Amino acid sequence: MSHAPTLVDITRSEWLKFRSVRATLIGVVTFLVLTIGLAALITLVIKSNWSQRSTLDKLAFDPVTTSLVGVFLAEFAVGVMGARFITSEYASGAIRSTLAAVPRRVHLVAAKIIVLLVTFFILSEIVVVVAFELGQFIYRTGHLPWASLSNATDARAVAFAGIYLTLLTLMGFGLGLIFRTTSTTISVYVTLLLIVPIITAFLPSSWQNDISKYLPSNLGRAMMSPDLSGSSFAWDTSAILLLVYTCAIVGAGTYLLTQRDA
Amino acid sequence: MLKIDHLTKRYGDTLAVNDLDFEVTPGVVTGFLGPNGSGKSTTMRVIIGLDRPTKGRATINGKTYDQFKSPLHEVGALLDAKALDPARSARNHLRALALANRIPVTRVDEVLEFVGVASVAHKRVGGFSLGMSQRLGIAGALLGDPGILLFDEPVNGLDPEGIRWIRDFFRSLAKEGRTVFVSSHLMSEMAVSADQIIVIGRGKFITSGSVDELTATATGTVFVRSTDVGGLTRVLSDLHAGVVPANDEGLSVSGLTSDQIGEAAFAAGITVWELTPQRASLEDVFMDLTADSLEYGHSSNVVVP
Repeated sequence: MSHAPTLVDITRSEWLKFRSVRATLIGVVTFLVLTIGLAALITLVIKSNWSQRSTLDKLAFDPVTTSLVGVFLAEFAVGVMGARFITSEYASGAIRSTLAAVPRRVHLVAAKIIVLLVTFFILSEIVVVVAFELGQFIYRTGHLPWASLSNATDARAVAFAGIYLTLLTLMGFGLGLIFRTTSTTISVYVTLLLIVPIITAFLPSSWQNDISKYLPSNLGRAMMSPDLSGSSFAWDTSAILLLVYTCAIVGAGTYLLTQRDA
Repeated sequence: MLKIDHLTKRYGDTLAVNDLDFEVTPGVVTGFLGPNGSGKSTTMRVIIGLDRPTKGRATINGKTYDQFKSPLHEVGALLDAKALDPARSARNHLRALALANRIPVTRVDEVLEFVGVASVAHKRVGGFSLGMSQRLGIAGALLGDPGILLFDEPVNGLDPEGIRWIRDFFRSLAKEGRTVFVSSHLMSEMAVSADQIIVIGRGKFITSGSVDELTATATGTVFVRSTDVGGLTRVLSDLHAGVVPANDEGLSVSGLTSDQIGEAAFAAGITVWELTPQRASLEDVFMDLTADSLEYGHSSNVVVP
Protein backbone atom coordinates (compact mmCIF):
# COMPACT_ATOMS: atom_id res chain seq x y z
CA MET A 1 0.00 0.00 0.00
CA SER A 2 1.20 3.48 -0.82
CA HIS A 3 1.64 6.20 1.74
CA ALA A 4 -1.46 7.36 3.53
CA PRO A 5 -3.08 10.33 1.82
CA THR A 6 -2.70 13.69 3.49
CA LEU A 7 -4.86 16.78 3.53
CA VAL A 8 -2.90 17.88 0.44
CA ASP A 9 -4.15 14.84 -1.50
CA ILE A 10 -7.73 15.41 -0.41
CA THR A 11 -7.43 19.09 -1.34
CA ARG A 12 -6.12 18.18 -4.80
CA SER A 13 -9.09 15.87 -5.20
CA GLU A 14 -11.52 18.63 -4.20
CA TRP A 15 -9.75 21.12 -6.47
CA LEU A 16 -10.22 18.75 -9.39
CA LYS A 17 -13.91 18.37 -8.49
CA PHE A 18 -14.28 22.13 -8.24
CA ARG A 19 -12.79 22.95 -11.61
CA SER A 20 -14.11 19.96 -13.57
CA VAL A 21 -17.74 21.09 -13.78
CA ARG A 22 -19.04 23.72 -16.12
CA ALA A 23 -21.17 25.30 -13.38
CA THR A 24 -17.95 26.61 -11.81
CA LEU A 25 -16.96 28.39 -15.01
CA ILE A 26 -20.44 29.86 -15.40
CA GLY A 27 -20.40 31.01 -11.78
CA VAL A 28 -17.00 32.63 -12.08
CA VAL A 29 -17.92 34.44 -15.29
CA THR A 30 -21.14 35.69 -13.65
CA PHE A 31 -19.06 36.89 -10.71
CA LEU A 32 -16.67 38.79 -13.00
CA VAL A 33 -19.41 40.31 -15.13
CA LEU A 34 -21.49 41.44 -12.15
CA THR A 35 -18.63 43.08 -10.27
CA ILE A 36 -16.65 44.61 -13.12
CA GLY A 37 -19.64 45.27 -15.35
CA LEU A 38 -21.54 47.05 -12.61
CA ALA A 39 -18.45 49.07 -11.71
CA ALA A 40 -18.26 50.28 -15.31
CA LEU A 41 -21.98 50.97 -15.53
CA ILE A 42 -22.39 52.85 -12.25
CA THR A 43 -19.26 54.96 -12.63
CA LEU A 44 -20.23 55.90 -16.19
CA VAL A 45 -23.69 56.97 -15.02
CA ILE A 46 -22.16 59.03 -12.20
CA LYS A 47 -19.71 60.60 -14.62
CA SER A 48 -22.40 61.62 -17.11
CA ASN A 49 -24.56 63.14 -14.34
CA TRP A 50 -21.72 64.82 -12.52
CA SER A 51 -22.35 68.34 -13.81
CA GLN A 52 -25.95 68.24 -12.53
CA ARG A 53 -24.90 67.37 -8.98
CA SER A 54 -25.19 69.85 -6.14
CA THR A 55 -22.02 70.96 -4.43
CA LEU A 56 -23.05 69.12 -1.28
CA ASP A 57 -23.52 65.93 -3.31
CA LYS A 58 -20.13 66.42 -4.88
CA LEU A 59 -18.52 66.77 -1.49
CA ALA A 60 -20.18 63.56 -0.22
CA PHE A 61 -19.03 61.65 -3.30
CA ASP A 62 -17.05 58.51 -2.50
CA PRO A 63 -15.13 57.24 -5.54
CA VAL A 64 -14.12 54.02 -3.76
CA THR A 65 -17.47 52.55 -2.71
CA THR A 66 -19.24 53.66 -5.87
CA SER A 67 -16.76 51.67 -7.94
CA LEU A 68 -17.22 48.60 -5.71
CA VAL A 69 -21.01 48.56 -5.68
CA GLY A 70 -21.03 45.40 -7.83
CA VAL A 71 -19.83 43.53 -4.76
CA PHE A 72 -23.37 43.65 -3.40
CA LEU A 73 -24.60 41.69 -6.40
CA ALA A 74 -21.54 39.49 -6.68
CA GLU A 75 -22.05 38.34 -3.10
CA PHE A 76 -24.97 36.26 -4.34
CA ALA A 77 -22.90 34.66 -7.08
CA VAL A 78 -20.10 33.67 -4.69
CA GLY A 79 -22.53 32.53 -1.99
CA VAL A 80 -24.29 30.24 -4.45
CA MET A 81 -20.95 28.83 -5.65
CA GLY A 82 -19.83 28.21 -2.09
CA ALA A 83 -23.12 26.53 -1.24
CA ARG A 84 -23.20 24.40 -4.36
CA PHE A 85 -19.72 23.05 -3.68
CA ILE A 86 -21.40 20.83 -1.10
CA THR A 87 -25.14 20.88 -1.90
CA SER A 88 -24.62 19.66 -5.48
CA GLU A 89 -23.02 16.55 -3.99
CA TYR A 90 -26.09 15.93 -1.89
CA ALA A 91 -28.38 16.59 -4.85
CA SER A 92 -26.68 14.00 -7.05
CA GLY A 93 -25.78 11.55 -4.29
CA ALA A 94 -22.10 11.94 -5.15
CA ILE A 95 -21.50 12.80 -1.48
CA ARG A 96 -21.67 9.06 -0.81
CA SER A 97 -18.76 8.18 -3.07
CA THR A 98 -16.92 11.23 -1.72
CA LEU A 99 -17.33 10.10 1.88
CA ALA A 100 -16.50 6.51 0.97
CA ALA A 101 -13.16 7.81 -0.34
CA VAL A 102 -12.67 10.28 2.51
CA PRO A 103 -14.30 8.90 5.65
CA ARG A 104 -12.58 11.48 7.84
CA ARG A 105 -15.25 14.09 7.34
CA VAL A 106 -13.43 16.97 9.04
CA HIS A 107 -10.62 16.49 6.53
CA LEU A 108 -13.13 16.68 3.71
CA VAL A 109 -14.49 19.99 5.01
CA ALA A 110 -10.96 21.32 5.51
CA ALA A 111 -10.04 20.42 1.93
CA LYS A 112 -13.15 22.07 0.53
CA ILE A 113 -12.50 25.20 2.62
CA ILE A 114 -8.92 25.41 1.38
CA VAL A 115 -10.12 25.20 -2.23
CA LEU A 116 -12.79 27.86 -1.73
CA LEU A 117 -10.61 30.10 0.41
CA VAL A 118 -7.64 30.17 -1.96
CA THR A 119 -9.70 30.33 -5.16
CA PHE A 120 -12.13 32.97 -4.04
CA PHE A 121 -9.59 35.08 -2.19
CA ILE A 122 -7.42 35.37 -5.30
CA LEU A 123 -10.40 35.73 -7.63
CA SER A 124 -12.17 38.29 -5.42
CA GLU A 125 -9.07 40.43 -4.94
CA ILE A 126 -8.42 40.47 -8.68
CA VAL A 127 -12.03 41.30 -9.43
CA VAL A 128 -12.32 44.15 -6.91
CA VAL A 129 -9.00 45.67 -7.98
CA VAL A 130 -10.06 45.54 -11.64
CA ALA A 131 -13.48 47.03 -10.77
CA PHE A 132 -11.84 49.73 -8.68
CA GLU A 133 -9.23 50.65 -11.30
CA LEU A 134 -11.82 50.66 -14.05
CA GLY A 135 -14.05 52.95 -12.00
CA GLN A 136 -11.20 55.31 -11.16
CA PHE A 137 -10.14 55.40 -14.80
CA ILE A 138 -13.64 56.47 -15.79
CA TYR A 139 -13.74 59.13 -13.04
CA ARG A 140 -10.33 60.43 -14.10
CA THR A 141 -11.39 60.81 -17.71
CA GLY A 142 -14.39 62.87 -16.50
CA HIS A 143 -12.25 64.95 -14.15
CA LEU A 144 -14.14 63.70 -11.13
CA PRO A 145 -12.48 63.13 -7.76
CA TRP A 146 -10.81 59.75 -7.93
CA ALA A 147 -9.04 57.41 -5.55
CA SER A 148 -5.84 55.42 -5.80
CA LEU A 149 -4.46 52.25 -4.31
CA SER A 150 -1.40 54.24 -3.27
CA ASN A 151 -3.64 55.73 -0.60
CA ALA A 152 -3.52 53.23 2.30
CA THR A 153 -7.14 53.78 3.37
CA ASP A 154 -8.47 53.28 -0.14
CA ALA A 155 -6.26 50.24 -0.71
CA ARG A 156 -7.52 48.77 2.55
CA ALA A 157 -11.14 49.35 1.50
CA VAL A 158 -10.55 47.58 -1.82
CA ALA A 159 -8.67 44.68 -0.21
CA PHE A 160 -11.44 44.18 2.34
CA ALA A 161 -14.09 44.17 -0.36
CA GLY A 162 -12.30 41.04 -1.62
CA ILE A 163 -12.12 39.61 1.89
CA TYR A 164 -15.84 40.28 2.33
CA LEU A 165 -16.62 38.24 -0.80
CA THR A 166 -14.28 35.45 0.30
CA LEU A 167 -15.97 35.20 3.70
CA LEU A 168 -19.41 35.20 2.11
CA THR A 169 -18.36 32.33 -0.17
CA LEU A 170 -17.45 30.35 2.91
CA MET A 171 -20.66 31.41 4.63
CA GLY A 172 -22.64 30.03 1.69
CA PHE A 173 -20.62 26.82 1.94
CA GLY A 174 -21.27 26.58 5.69
CA LEU A 175 -25.00 27.06 5.18
CA GLY A 176 -24.81 24.35 2.50
CA LEU A 177 -23.27 21.97 5.04
CA ILE A 178 -26.12 22.73 7.43
CA PHE A 179 -29.09 22.64 5.04
CA ARG A 180 -27.74 20.24 2.37
CA THR A 181 -30.22 21.20 -0.37
CA THR A 182 -29.32 24.00 -2.76
CA SER A 183 -32.76 25.64 -2.66
CA THR A 184 -33.00 25.83 1.13
CA THR A 185 -29.43 27.01 1.46
CA ILE A 186 -29.85 29.80 -1.06
CA SER A 187 -33.16 30.84 0.50
CA VAL A 188 -31.51 31.19 3.90
CA TYR A 189 -28.52 32.99 2.40
CA VAL A 190 -30.69 35.49 0.54
CA THR A 191 -32.86 35.98 3.62
CA LEU A 192 -29.79 36.77 5.67
CA LEU A 193 -28.35 39.26 3.20
CA LEU A 194 -31.45 40.78 1.69
CA ILE A 195 -34.64 40.11 3.64
CA VAL A 196 -33.42 40.66 7.21
CA PRO A 197 -32.13 44.18 6.37
CA ILE A 198 -35.56 45.01 4.90
CA ILE A 199 -37.31 43.75 8.02
CA THR A 200 -35.03 45.68 10.36
CA ALA A 201 -35.84 48.81 8.38
CA PHE A 202 -39.36 48.59 9.80
CA LEU A 203 -38.15 48.52 13.39
CA PRO A 204 -38.12 51.64 15.58
CA SER A 205 -35.02 53.61 14.66
CA SER A 206 -33.38 53.15 18.07
CA TRP A 207 -33.51 49.37 17.58
CA GLN A 208 -32.65 49.64 13.94
CA ASN A 209 -29.26 51.19 14.60
CA ASP A 210 -28.42 48.60 17.24
CA ILE A 211 -29.41 45.64 15.09
CA SER A 212 -28.56 46.63 11.57
CA LYS A 213 -24.86 47.17 12.18
CA TYR A 214 -24.59 43.45 13.01
CA LEU A 215 -26.04 42.36 9.67
CA PRO A 216 -23.53 40.80 7.26
CA SER A 217 -24.27 43.21 4.43
CA ASN A 218 -23.70 46.22 6.71
CA LEU A 219 -20.50 44.69 8.03
CA GLY A 220 -19.43 44.43 4.41
CA ARG A 221 -20.31 48.06 3.79
CA ALA A 222 -18.22 49.07 6.80
CA MET A 223 -15.32 46.88 5.68
CA MET A 224 -15.06 48.43 2.24
CA SER A 225 -15.76 52.02 3.15
CA PRO A 226 -12.72 54.31 3.48
CA ASP A 227 -14.37 56.53 6.07
CA LEU A 228 -16.39 55.51 9.09
CA SER A 229 -20.01 56.39 9.35
CA GLY A 230 -21.42 56.78 12.87
CA SER A 231 -23.96 53.96 13.03
CA SER A 232 -21.72 51.09 11.93
CA PHE A 233 -18.74 49.29 13.41
CA ALA A 234 -15.20 50.17 12.39
CA TRP A 235 -13.83 48.24 9.39
CA ASP A 236 -11.64 45.99 11.56
CA THR A 237 -14.39 45.18 14.06
CA SER A 238 -16.70 44.48 11.16
CA ALA A 239 -14.22 42.12 9.53
CA ILE A 240 -13.70 40.24 12.78
CA LEU A 241 -17.45 39.95 13.37
CA LEU A 242 -18.01 38.61 9.87
CA LEU A 243 -15.18 36.13 10.38
CA VAL A 244 -16.81 34.99 13.63
CA TYR A 245 -20.15 34.52 11.87
CA THR A 246 -18.49 32.52 9.09
CA CYS A 247 -16.56 30.32 11.50
CA ALA A 248 -19.70 29.70 13.57
CA ILE A 249 -21.73 28.68 10.51
CA VAL A 250 -19.00 26.50 9.02
CA GLY A 251 -18.30 25.01 12.45
CA ALA A 252 -21.95 24.15 13.00
CA GLY A 253 -22.14 22.65 9.50
CA THR A 254 -19.02 20.57 10.06
CA TYR A 255 -20.33 19.29 13.36
CA LEU A 256 -23.61 18.28 11.71
CA LEU A 257 -21.73 16.53 8.89
CA THR A 258 -19.79 14.41 11.38
CA GLN A 259 -22.97 13.49 13.23
CA ARG A 260 -25.41 12.84 10.42
CA ASP A 261 -25.90 9.85 8.15
CA ALA A 262 -24.90 10.63 4.59
CA MET B 1 -12.39 -10.36 6.84
CA LEU B 2 -15.67 -8.51 6.89
CA LYS B 3 -17.50 -8.82 10.17
CA ILE B 4 -20.93 -7.54 11.13
CA ASP B 5 -20.90 -7.39 14.88
CA HIS B 6 -24.33 -7.22 16.56
CA LEU B 7 -25.27 -4.38 14.28
CA THR B 8 -28.42 -2.41 14.94
CA LYS B 9 -29.49 0.66 12.98
CA ARG B 10 -32.55 2.68 13.75
CA TYR B 11 -33.86 5.61 11.69
CA GLY B 12 -36.28 7.44 13.92
CA ASP B 13 -38.98 4.91 14.70
CA THR B 14 -37.91 2.48 12.01
CA LEU B 15 -35.65 -0.36 12.97
CA ALA B 16 -33.78 -0.97 9.72
CA VAL B 17 -31.21 -3.46 11.01
CA ASN B 18 -31.84 -5.51 14.12
CA ASP B 19 -28.85 -7.12 15.81
CA LEU B 20 -27.27 -8.54 12.67
CA ASP B 21 -24.25 -10.66 13.40
CA PHE B 22 -22.30 -12.56 10.76
CA GLU B 23 -19.00 -12.82 8.96
CA VAL B 24 -18.30 -12.75 5.26
CA THR B 25 -15.44 -15.00 4.25
CA PRO B 26 -12.92 -14.35 1.50
CA GLY B 27 -12.57 -16.52 -1.58
CA VAL B 28 -16.25 -17.01 -2.30
CA VAL B 29 -19.11 -14.92 -3.58
CA THR B 30 -21.46 -14.28 -0.68
CA GLY B 31 -25.01 -13.33 -1.51
CA PHE B 32 -26.90 -11.03 0.80
CA LEU B 33 -30.50 -11.91 0.24
CA GLY B 34 -33.63 -10.27 1.55
CA PRO B 35 -36.79 -8.60 0.35
CA ASN B 36 -36.76 -4.90 -0.46
CA GLY B 37 -36.53 -2.89 2.73
CA SER B 38 -35.02 -5.73 4.73
CA GLY B 39 -31.90 -3.78 5.68
CA LYS B 40 -29.37 -4.89 3.05
CA SER B 41 -28.51 -1.42 1.84
CA THR B 42 -28.43 -0.05 5.37
CA THR B 43 -25.95 -2.74 6.37
CA MET B 44 -23.74 -1.85 3.42
CA ARG B 45 -23.98 1.86 4.20
CA VAL B 46 -22.82 1.18 7.73
CA ILE B 47 -19.93 -0.96 6.47
CA ILE B 48 -18.52 1.94 4.44
CA GLY B 49 -19.13 4.48 7.16
CA LEU B 50 -21.93 6.45 5.53
CA ASP B 51 -24.37 5.74 8.35
CA ARG B 52 -23.51 5.47 12.01
CA PRO B 53 -24.70 2.31 13.71
CA THR B 54 -27.16 2.69 16.59
CA LYS B 55 -25.53 -0.31 18.27
CA GLY B 56 -22.78 -2.72 17.32
CA ARG B 57 -20.42 -2.19 14.43
CA ALA B 58 -19.10 -3.43 11.12
CA THR B 59 -15.39 -4.11 10.88
CA ILE B 60 -12.93 -4.72 8.09
CA ASN B 61 -9.94 -6.72 9.28
CA GLY B 62 -10.78 -5.59 12.80
CA LYS B 63 -11.11 -1.89 12.02
CA THR B 64 -14.14 0.25 11.37
CA TYR B 65 -14.20 1.98 8.00
CA ASP B 66 -13.48 5.49 9.30
CA GLN B 67 -10.21 4.26 10.79
CA PHE B 68 -8.76 3.82 7.31
CA LYS B 69 -6.95 6.77 5.84
CA SER B 70 -6.96 5.22 2.41
CA PRO B 71 -10.15 3.16 2.52
CA LEU B 72 -10.42 2.47 -1.20
CA HIS B 73 -7.44 0.12 -0.80
CA GLU B 74 -9.44 -1.91 1.73
CA VAL B 75 -13.03 -1.87 0.51
CA GLY B 76 -14.49 -1.13 -2.89
CA ALA B 77 -18.21 -0.51 -2.92
CA LEU B 78 -20.88 0.07 -5.51
CA LEU B 79 -24.01 1.11 -3.67
CA ASP B 80 -25.86 3.37 -6.06
CA ALA B 81 -24.57 3.65 -9.59
CA LYS B 82 -26.48 6.85 -10.29
CA ALA B 83 -25.04 8.68 -7.28
CA LEU B 84 -22.60 10.70 -9.39
CA ASP B 85 -22.27 14.35 -10.24
CA PRO B 86 -23.90 14.32 -13.70
CA ALA B 87 -21.81 17.30 -14.85
CA ARG B 88 -18.45 15.60 -14.35
CA SER B 89 -16.79 13.27 -16.81
CA ALA B 90 -16.32 9.62 -15.92
CA ARG B 91 -12.57 9.99 -15.88
CA ASN B 92 -12.62 13.08 -13.66
CA HIS B 93 -14.99 11.34 -11.27
CA LEU B 94 -12.52 8.49 -10.86
CA ARG B 95 -9.51 10.82 -10.78
CA ALA B 96 -11.01 12.72 -7.85
CA LEU B 97 -11.51 9.47 -5.94
CA ALA B 98 -8.00 8.33 -6.87
CA LEU B 99 -6.36 11.56 -5.73
CA ALA B 100 -8.04 11.37 -2.33
CA ASN B 101 -6.57 7.89 -1.82
CA ARG B 102 -3.17 8.40 -3.45
CA ILE B 103 -3.98 6.05 -6.29
CA PRO B 104 -1.95 6.78 -9.44
CA VAL B 105 -3.85 8.16 -12.43
CA THR B 106 -2.63 5.24 -14.56
CA ARG B 107 -4.86 3.03 -12.45
CA VAL B 108 -7.86 5.18 -13.41
CA ASP B 109 -7.31 4.46 -17.09
CA GLU B 110 -6.70 0.81 -16.30
CA VAL B 111 -10.06 0.30 -14.56
CA LEU B 112 -11.89 2.38 -17.17
CA GLU B 113 -10.46 0.07 -19.82
CA PHE B 114 -11.32 -3.02 -17.79
CA VAL B 115 -15.02 -2.22 -17.36
CA GLY B 116 -15.31 -1.07 -20.96
CA VAL B 117 -16.13 2.61 -20.55
CA ALA B 118 -12.76 3.98 -21.69
CA SER B 119 -14.25 5.18 -24.97
CA VAL B 120 -16.72 7.46 -23.17
CA ALA B 121 -14.42 8.38 -20.28
CA HIS B 122 -14.39 12.05 -21.28
CA LYS B 123 -18.16 12.29 -21.57
CA ARG B 124 -20.27 13.69 -18.77
CA VAL B 125 -21.79 10.89 -16.71
CA GLY B 126 -25.21 12.57 -16.74
CA GLY B 127 -25.72 11.09 -20.18
CA PHE B 128 -24.75 7.56 -19.17
CA SER B 129 -27.28 4.73 -19.23
CA LEU B 130 -27.82 2.82 -16.01
CA GLY B 131 -25.72 -0.02 -17.38
CA MET B 132 -22.82 2.30 -18.17
CA SER B 133 -23.13 3.93 -14.75
CA GLN B 134 -23.00 0.46 -13.18
CA ARG B 135 -19.79 -0.26 -15.04
CA LEU B 136 -18.34 3.06 -13.96
CA GLY B 137 -19.36 2.26 -10.39
CA ILE B 138 -17.56 -1.06 -10.66
CA ALA B 139 -14.49 0.76 -11.95
CA GLY B 140 -14.67 2.98 -8.87
CA ALA B 141 -14.91 -0.04 -6.59
CA LEU B 142 -11.84 -1.62 -8.21
CA LEU B 143 -9.77 1.57 -8.13
CA GLY B 144 -7.82 0.78 -4.98
CA ASP B 145 -7.49 -2.95 -5.76
CA PRO B 146 -9.30 -3.75 -2.49
CA GLY B 147 -9.58 -7.14 -0.77
CA ILE B 148 -13.24 -6.62 0.00
CA LEU B 149 -15.89 -5.70 -2.54
CA LEU B 150 -19.47 -4.72 -1.84
CA PHE B 151 -22.16 -4.55 -4.49
CA ASP B 152 -25.71 -3.48 -3.74
CA GLU B 153 -28.16 -4.89 -6.28
CA PRO B 154 -25.55 -4.84 -9.04
CA VAL B 155 -27.58 -6.57 -11.75
CA ASN B 156 -30.36 -3.98 -11.68
CA GLY B 157 -30.44 -2.24 -15.00
CA LEU B 158 -27.99 -4.53 -16.72
CA ASP B 159 -28.82 -6.30 -19.94
CA PRO B 160 -28.48 -10.11 -20.09
CA GLU B 161 -24.96 -9.82 -21.48
CA GLY B 162 -24.01 -7.45 -18.69
CA ILE B 163 -25.51 -9.74 -16.05
CA ARG B 164 -23.48 -12.63 -17.37
CA TRP B 165 -20.34 -10.51 -17.47
CA ILE B 166 -20.85 -9.41 -13.86
CA ARG B 167 -21.44 -12.96 -12.60
CA ASP B 168 -18.21 -14.18 -14.15
CA PHE B 169 -16.49 -11.10 -12.83
CA PHE B 170 -17.64 -11.78 -9.24
CA ARG B 171 -16.40 -15.36 -9.52
CA SER B 172 -13.00 -14.25 -10.77
CA LEU B 173 -12.70 -11.70 -7.94
CA ALA B 174 -13.52 -14.40 -5.41
CA LYS B 175 -11.07 -16.78 -7.05
CA GLU B 176 -8.35 -14.20 -6.48
CA GLY B 177 -9.07 -14.59 -2.77
CA ARG B 178 -11.15 -11.46 -2.32
CA THR B 179 -14.27 -11.11 -0.23
CA VAL B 180 -17.20 -10.49 -2.55
CA PHE B 181 -20.43 -9.46 -0.87
CA VAL B 182 -23.38 -8.99 -3.22
CA SER B 183 -26.89 -8.03 -2.20
CA SER B 184 -30.02 -8.87 -4.10
CA HIS B 185 -33.72 -9.27 -3.57
CA LEU B 186 -33.82 -11.78 -6.41
CA MET B 187 -33.36 -15.32 -5.20
CA SER B 188 -33.03 -16.63 -8.71
CA GLU B 189 -30.06 -14.32 -9.25
CA MET B 190 -28.37 -15.39 -6.03
CA ALA B 191 -28.94 -19.06 -6.82
CA VAL B 192 -26.69 -18.77 -9.86
CA SER B 193 -24.20 -16.12 -8.82
CA ALA B 194 -23.47 -16.79 -5.14
CA ASP B 195 -21.68 -19.61 -3.36
CA GLN B 196 -22.75 -18.69 0.14
CA ILE B 197 -25.97 -16.94 1.02
CA ILE B 198 -26.96 -14.89 4.03
CA VAL B 199 -30.69 -14.34 4.29
CA ILE B 200 -32.19 -11.46 6.23
CA GLY B 201 -35.73 -10.22 6.62
CA ARG B 202 -36.97 -7.14 8.42
CA GLY B 203 -33.43 -6.33 9.48
CA LYS B 204 -32.95 -9.65 11.23
CA PHE B 205 -30.66 -12.54 10.40
CA ILE B 206 -32.67 -15.52 9.20
CA THR B 207 -30.24 -18.11 7.96
CA SER B 208 -27.04 -18.67 6.05
CA GLY B 209 -25.41 -21.44 4.12
CA SER B 210 -24.63 -22.63 0.65
CA VAL B 211 -27.39 -22.72 -1.93
CA ASP B 212 -27.60 -26.53 -1.60
CA GLU B 213 -27.74 -26.39 2.19
CA LEU B 214 -30.55 -23.88 2.12
CA THR B 215 -32.71 -25.84 -0.32
CA ALA B 216 -32.04 -29.09 1.59
CA THR B 217 -33.43 -27.66 4.83
CA ALA B 218 -36.74 -26.89 3.25
CA THR B 219 -39.48 -29.51 3.24
CA GLY B 220 -40.61 -30.02 -0.31
CA THR B 221 -44.10 -30.68 -1.49
CA VAL B 222 -45.49 -33.71 -3.29
CA PHE B 223 -47.56 -33.42 -6.43
CA VAL B 224 -50.41 -35.97 -6.50
CA ARG B 225 -52.92 -36.79 -9.23
CA SER B 226 -55.84 -39.03 -8.43
CA THR B 227 -59.27 -40.24 -9.65
CA ASP B 228 -60.86 -38.93 -6.45
CA VAL B 229 -59.38 -35.53 -5.65
CA GLY B 230 -62.05 -34.68 -3.10
CA GLY B 231 -61.71 -37.95 -1.22
CA LEU B 232 -57.95 -37.80 -1.14
CA THR B 233 -58.05 -34.20 0.13
CA ARG B 234 -60.20 -35.31 3.06
CA VAL B 235 -57.95 -38.28 3.86
CA LEU B 236 -54.75 -36.25 3.73
CA SER B 237 -56.24 -33.33 5.66
CA ASP B 238 -57.12 -35.77 8.45
CA LEU B 239 -53.41 -36.56 8.61
CA HIS B 240 -52.73 -32.80 9.14
CA ALA B 241 -51.11 -32.39 5.76
CA GLY B 242 -51.32 -29.14 3.87
CA VAL B 243 -53.34 -29.76 0.73
CA VAL B 244 -53.84 -27.22 -2.02
CA PRO B 245 -55.31 -27.84 -5.46
CA ALA B 246 -52.69 -27.85 -8.20
CA ASN B 247 -52.98 -27.82 -11.96
CA ASP B 248 -54.09 -30.82 -14.05
CA GLU B 249 -56.65 -31.95 -11.42
CA GLY B 250 -53.83 -32.60 -8.99
CA LEU B 251 -52.96 -31.67 -5.45
CA SER B 252 -49.90 -30.13 -3.93
CA VAL B 253 -49.32 -31.78 -0.58
CA SER B 254 -46.97 -30.60 2.11
CA GLY B 255 -46.08 -32.17 5.44
CA LEU B 256 -46.10 -35.76 4.21
CA THR B 257 -43.63 -37.80 2.19
CA SER B 258 -44.67 -39.47 -1.04
CA ASP B 259 -44.50 -42.84 0.74
CA GLN B 260 -46.93 -41.70 3.42
CA ILE B 261 -49.33 -40.29 0.84
CA GLY B 262 -49.25 -43.50 -1.18
CA GLU B 263 -50.01 -45.61 1.89
CA ALA B 264 -52.84 -43.34 3.00
CA ALA B 265 -54.40 -43.45 -0.47
CA PHE B 266 -54.12 -47.25 -0.60
CA ALA B 267 -55.72 -47.58 2.87
CA ALA B 268 -58.63 -45.37 1.74
CA GLY B 269 -58.96 -47.27 -1.53
CA ILE B 270 -58.25 -44.26 -3.72
CA THR B 271 -56.40 -44.71 -6.98
CA VAL B 272 -53.34 -42.53 -7.43
CA TRP B 273 -52.08 -41.74 -10.92
CA GLU B 274 -49.06 -39.74 -10.08
CA LEU B 275 -46.98 -39.11 -6.99
CA THR B 276 -44.06 -36.73 -7.60
CA PRO B 277 -41.87 -35.21 -4.87
CA GLN B 278 -41.11 -31.56 -5.71
CA ARG B 279 -37.72 -30.28 -4.70
CA ALA B 280 -38.00 -26.86 -3.08
CA SER B 281 -36.39 -24.10 -5.10
CA LEU B 282 -34.31 -21.46 -3.40
CA GLU B 283 -37.21 -19.17 -4.14
CA ASP B 284 -39.62 -21.33 -2.12
CA VAL B 285 -37.14 -21.44 0.74
CA PHE B 286 -36.77 -17.72 0.62
CA MET B 287 -40.50 -17.11 0.61
CA ASP B 288 -40.98 -19.45 3.59
CA LEU B 289 -38.16 -17.88 5.54
CA THR B 290 -39.10 -14.28 4.94
CA ALA B 291 -42.79 -14.95 5.54
CA ASP B 292 -41.80 -16.10 9.03
CA SER B 293 -39.66 -13.06 9.57
CA LEU B 294 -42.63 -10.83 8.92
CA GLU B 295 -44.48 -12.39 11.86
CA TYR B 296 -41.48 -12.20 14.19
CA GLY B 297 -40.62 -8.79 12.85
CA HIS B 298 -43.62 -7.03 14.31
CA SER B 299 -42.93 -7.99 17.91
CA SER B 300 -39.18 -7.49 17.71
CA ASN B 301 -39.72 -3.93 16.53
CA VAL B 302 -40.83 -3.01 20.01
CA VAL B 303 -38.34 -5.00 22.05
CA VAL B 304 -35.00 -3.40 21.19
CA PRO B 305 -34.42 -0.27 23.25
